Amino acid sequence: METGLIAIGAGIAVLTGLGAGIGMGIATGKAAEATARQPEVTGKINSVLILGLALTESTAIYGFVTALMIMFTMGA
Amino acid sequence: MHDVSVWRIAVIVLLAALGVFMFIKMSKIKPVEKEDEHYQEIKGKRGKFRNIGMIALWIASGLFFGMFMEKSEGLHVSINAERVNLFGIDFNSSILISLCASLLVIVAAVLIRIFVIPKFSDQPKGLQNVLEILVETLDGYVKEKTGMVNENLTAYFLSLGILLVASALLELFSLRPPIADLTVTASMALVTFVLINFYGIRKKGVGGRLKQLAQPMAIVAPFKFLSDIAVPISLACRLFGNMLGGMIVMHLLYMALGAFGVGIPAVAGLFFNAFHPGIQIYIFITLSLTFIGEAVEDPEGEHHDAQPHGQKA
Repeated sequence: METGLIAIGAGIAVLTGLGAGIGMGIATGKAAEATARQPEVTGKINSVLILGLALTESTAIYGFVTALMIMFTMGA
Repeated sequence: MHDVSVWRIAVIVLLAALGVFMFIKMSKIKPVEKEDEHYQEIKGKRGKFRNIGMIALWIASGLFFGMFMEKSEGLHVSINAERVNLFGIDFNSSILISLCASLLVIVAAVLIRIFVIPKFSDQPKGLQNVLEILVETLDGYVKEKTGMVNENLTAYFLSLGILLVASALLELFSLRPPIADLTVTASMALVTFVLINFYGIRKKGVGGRLKQLAQPMAIVAPFKFLSDIAVPISLACRLFGNMLGGMIVMHLLYMALGAFGVGIPAVAGLFFNAFHPGIQIYIFITLSLTFIGEAVEDPEGEHHDAQPHGQKA
């Protein structure tokens, strides 16, 4: 198969990073707001934030894994 | 050896001498207390000497190692671990490395069992404190997430976490970490899948577990079934993708720095090889416990609306 088309496919697959970036930005912004409003529960907010960030990040990771699979199984 | 000239060696010696000289000069200046009037000035001077010395030594080491290193031919990463041939049997290298990690953990556990646990006393101190905090925290966590006191789950997830951390830290010795291999993470996710169904069926019976699929309406049953199947796949892909991503970033860094890869990869590795795997392992354990808790949950419970359905995708 054409190498160029495989590269384009892999590039489209990692576009999931777009949504993950927006989501992580919103989550972090809300966490900053919450910390500013209630500094006494910073620890709890932090743990929730870390959990949420990791979950959000995993969508980007799925795209990344898909791109890698496209590259390594088709491109070889 | 290639590219060796008198000039190069002269530059290396000169830079190394400059670095050592700067460090000696820094140590001549005594640090002062914060209340001293010359505090800022002396601190800045020490910092300047230290930075110049470090940069000089770094460049010298890069030039020195560059004499022995072949030029790198690009990035070599594959999503499958390489095969090794041992005693005529074809092995996946992840198996060997994870066996090494378990061996390390088992030796540590045996040592603790023989030398530390008999000395446990009513007033804990030292390692006993650490162990008790570890076990108590995870016990509380299991109770909080699944709503039941279960020593088996605590034991399983504690040993899983320690094994995963050990195998992630093996990457610091430039081995391929076993959890950057889809087969290893998939097997761990499969164990989670078995645990979810085991506890769900033990609590509600096969009929109750099937009935839970058809809630709130019968028409959602296929989708719920699919999302149940998706749980182990998403757990496996999440851990695998994160580990592989960190590994690729570190490989890229080593490739870009070449012979100058002294010191800088240590700082980046602290994030990509130690902190990031720790977070991902925490997520893995948390999600496993959350799904088990969801399976054993009382259908008429008041927490029914607070189920983390969104995490399944």
